[in-house]
Amino acid sequence: MSTLSEAVGPAEPNDAPPRGLWRQGLTVFCENRLALVGLGLFVLLAGVCFLGPLVYHTDQVHTDLTAVHLAPGEQGHPLGTDGVGYDQLGRLMLGGQTSIIVGLAAGVLATIVGTLLGAIAGFFGGWVDAAVMRVVDAMMSIPSLFLFMLLAAIVTPSAPMLILIIGAFAWLGPARLVRGEALTLRSREYVQAMRGMGGTGGRAVRRHIIPNAIGTVIVNATFQVADAILYVAYLSFLGLGIPPPAANWGGMLSDGLADTYSGHWWLLYPPGIAIILIVLAFNFIGDGLRDAFEVRLRRR
Amino acid sequence: MTSRFPGRALRGAVAAAATIALGAGLVGCGDNSGSSKDGGSQGKDTVTVAFRTPNWILPISAPGFTQGENAIFGQALYRSLYQYRLDGTAQYNIDPERSMAEPPQVSDDGRTLTITLKDNSWSDGTPITTRDIQFWYDLVTANKDKWASYRAGGFPDNVDEWSIKDEKTFSITTTEVYNTAWFVDNQLNRITPLPQHAWDKDSATADVSDLASTPEGSKKVFDFLIAASKDPKTYDSNELWQVTSGAWKLEKYVPNGEVTLAAEPNYSGTDKPKLSKVVLRPFTSDDAEFNVLRAGDIDYGYVPAANMSQKSYLESKGYTISPWYGWSITYLQLNYNNPKSGVLFKQPYLRQSLQMLIDQPTISKVIWSDTAAPTCGPVPAKPGTNTDAAGCAYSFDPAKSKELLESHGWKVTPDGQTTCQSPGTGPNQCGEGITAGTPLEFTVTSQTGFAATTKMFAEIKSQMAKLGIQLTIKEVPDSVAVTPTCEPTEASCSWDMSFFGSQGSWYYPAFASGERLFATDAPVNLGSYSNPEADKLIEATQFAGDESALTAYNDFLAKDLPVLWMPNPVYQVSAYRSGLQGVEPQDPMNLMYFQDWSWK
Repeated sequence: MSTLSEAVGPAEPNDAPPRGLWRQGLTVFCENRLALVGLGLFVLLAGVCFLGPLVYHTDQVHTDLTAVHLAPGEQGHPLGTDGVGYDQLGRLMLGGQTSIIVGLAAGVLATIVGTLLGAIAGFFGGWVDAAVMRVVDAMMSIPSLFLFMLLAAIVTPSAPMLILIIGAFAWLGPARLVRGEALTLRSREYVQAMRGMGGTGGRAVRRHIIPNAIGTVIVNATFQVADAILYVAYLSFLGLGIPPPAANWGGMLSDGLADTYSGHWWLLYPPGIAIILIVLAFNFIGDGLRDAFEVRLRRR
Repeated sequence: MTSRFPGRALRGAVAAAATIALGAGLVGCGDNSGSSKDGGSQGKDTVTVAFRTPNWILPISAPGFTQGENAIFGQALYRSLYQYRLDGTAQYNIDPERSMAEPPQVSDDGRTLTITLKDNSWSDGTPITTRDIQFWYDLVTANKDKWASYRAGGFPDNVDEWSIKDEKTFSITTTEVYNTAWFVDNQLNRITPLPQHAWDKDSATADVSDLASTPEGSKKVFDFLIAASKDPKTYDSNELWQVTSGAWKLEKYVPNGEVTLAAEPNYSGTDKPKLSKVVLRPFTSDDAEFNVLRAGDIDYGYVPAANMSQKSYLESKGYTISPWYGWSITYLQLNYNNPKSGVLFKQPYLRQSLQMLIDQPTISKVIWSDTAAPTCGPVPAKPGTNTDAAGCAYSFDPAKSKELLESHGWKVTPDGQTTCQSPGTGPNQCGEGITAGTPLEFTVTSQTGFAATTKMFAEIKSQMAKLGIQLTIKEVPDSVAVTPTCEPTEASCSWDMSFFGSQGSWYYPAFASGERLFATDAPVNLGSYSNPEADKLIEATQFAGDESALTAYNDFLAKDLPVLWMPNPVYQVSAYRSGLQGVEPQDPMNLMYFQDWSWK
């Protein structure tokens, strides 16, 4: 065990990581069948949402009150229509685009902000660490969904606004994680050596702390994306999502709930299942990446 | 060894399975299952009613607190001098049984109305006399600027002489000869006896005196009562509200929560309560209410428009389903004082164009499941009629709407952004104050919690988008509160359009004149609409002795469009246990008389 850290210990990031490690990581990822299933699911869902409309054309802007609540298969609507006549399959594609874009963007935003602040706080310590972490503690003490709802009620929700709102509060988790990593990494010999040679703190964070915490960051990012997709769904479910004709799966689920007792199952099941699948997909991918980045597994 | 089914994914999968199972359960019980209790006799003397929590108790209306639930709650505790019914059987529509006074005697010159009180008493046994009427009059006269029912020139400005004859009789001499029906229905309806012997003081610890008999004292008493009414958490403990005249007393009040009314044992009216308790239970949304109704956990609720297909199911579970038609109209309020959009709304052709993009008959039929009917003008249609908008001045006609815009200098860009191309005040130009390039884009502040409303605005937005008119829908819990009457310079004047008509925008008193809605500076004229011709016609309804003035006023405003007329939903489609008697007829003026209710 003692030789393990030495052999694969943090290399100078200037050196490109040995190709073998990436290949090993890929191998480990591919050995995780659930991760592959997750990746396949994500590719499938993203493909349907973004490429589907190119081959399956529907009008998702104009309502059609002469064709409301058509059952699947009726009048050329494979998944039926909703309460204002939108084709449900086309709406799923449109809604999926919003959910995936907002989820990915908010997850990435939260990860970038959280990683930067966490790395700075952990590396520099002292009052910088205290200030950042107290902000994190304070914000974590308030239920995030409550904050999202408050903000979404104040501003008119739009996709960029939702990205900002979710990103603005979702960075707390990554910040804590990366700070923990940074606390460990800052005492490593190669960091000390760089500082001894006159390297600045900024360079240490940029070239050593963040690159060596990248595994944790990427794994966490997948979970952040999954969480962000769920937050979009929550907000839309509560009526605080993007107003029509824009759509997202949470809003569709909310709309479908009003028809629960009317037997219009096609308004409820498809968006609900889509949310479950995309969140599961990101969780599976995240777990696969965690395995792949885990040094111990790379070396086995 | 690394688990091939990590904890997080496992939790996710379990959650997924649970969600699917829940969904399956919900959908599966679409037609056949459920846990509703049977209707019929409940062997109890309590009724549970779906009802938004009232937030105003003082029987003097205040701006921002005029919601329907406050009126029902207020009447349960404090009766108005006169109660009305619209069945056409009674003089001046006065309900002779429920009213606290005999119908007024009108002098030969038509200016003086003499009113005699019936024998009634407060819940503490003190007789209700003209002193209590005088107390009310002193309060509203000295504080009319804070009274939501006040408008300049209306009551009490139109009272020349207020005279107390004795403990039972008082008279009102008006400044002009008014249409008696209008004065009785729309002015005297505000009078509510207040317990002078308990409320005439300016603090909780002060002794009761004749403080309100002077204008200065009246202001102090009024402020004290208003402050108490703005403190809902003390409603069931404040001794002020223990003295009542209504059939009910307040037993328990939870702010934003459940309210319990108990039968008042000392109630002096003839319509004694037959139940001992009424529990008013609020719900956050239609869906929440319907789930509870379907489970049989409330005795009186409503069926949301989206769930009308469940009517037969509910009936099979012992509920009676009955639409509650209102003496009401529904509209989309336009803000004429908005610095940006106000200039647009001031153009009649633009209002006409927007109106022609609202397909009221189809929306009423498809989205409201036939529980709404088109509104064509300010005077309501007879409840349950007017289903096809045949009498509307501007029916749904997108082509004509487009033509109207283009003929006034607008460059119509379907599914894009329509803009003003020919600014100016000429006949073929956009109109005064509208600059070149001005876009037609508006924000509608609507209501959360009503699925049909959300769908309705999706449809309207879609129709407007076809002509390049961009509508942004913003749903808030209380759209009236955030779209107040305002001056262009105020920050609160940024709203464009406001909708608060998911259960009808406005419920009229017995006489459907528009002095409170569409007259210049009227108290509920949220959008600051002003038209001298409309003012003249509205005023005429107060003096004319027949229906012609009301017809003229209706015809003018139906065409002038002070607001955009919208489908008028029933107040609600009520669902009550078949064993519950006395619910019908449901009052078109949106009041509920729980004292009539009883179990078979």
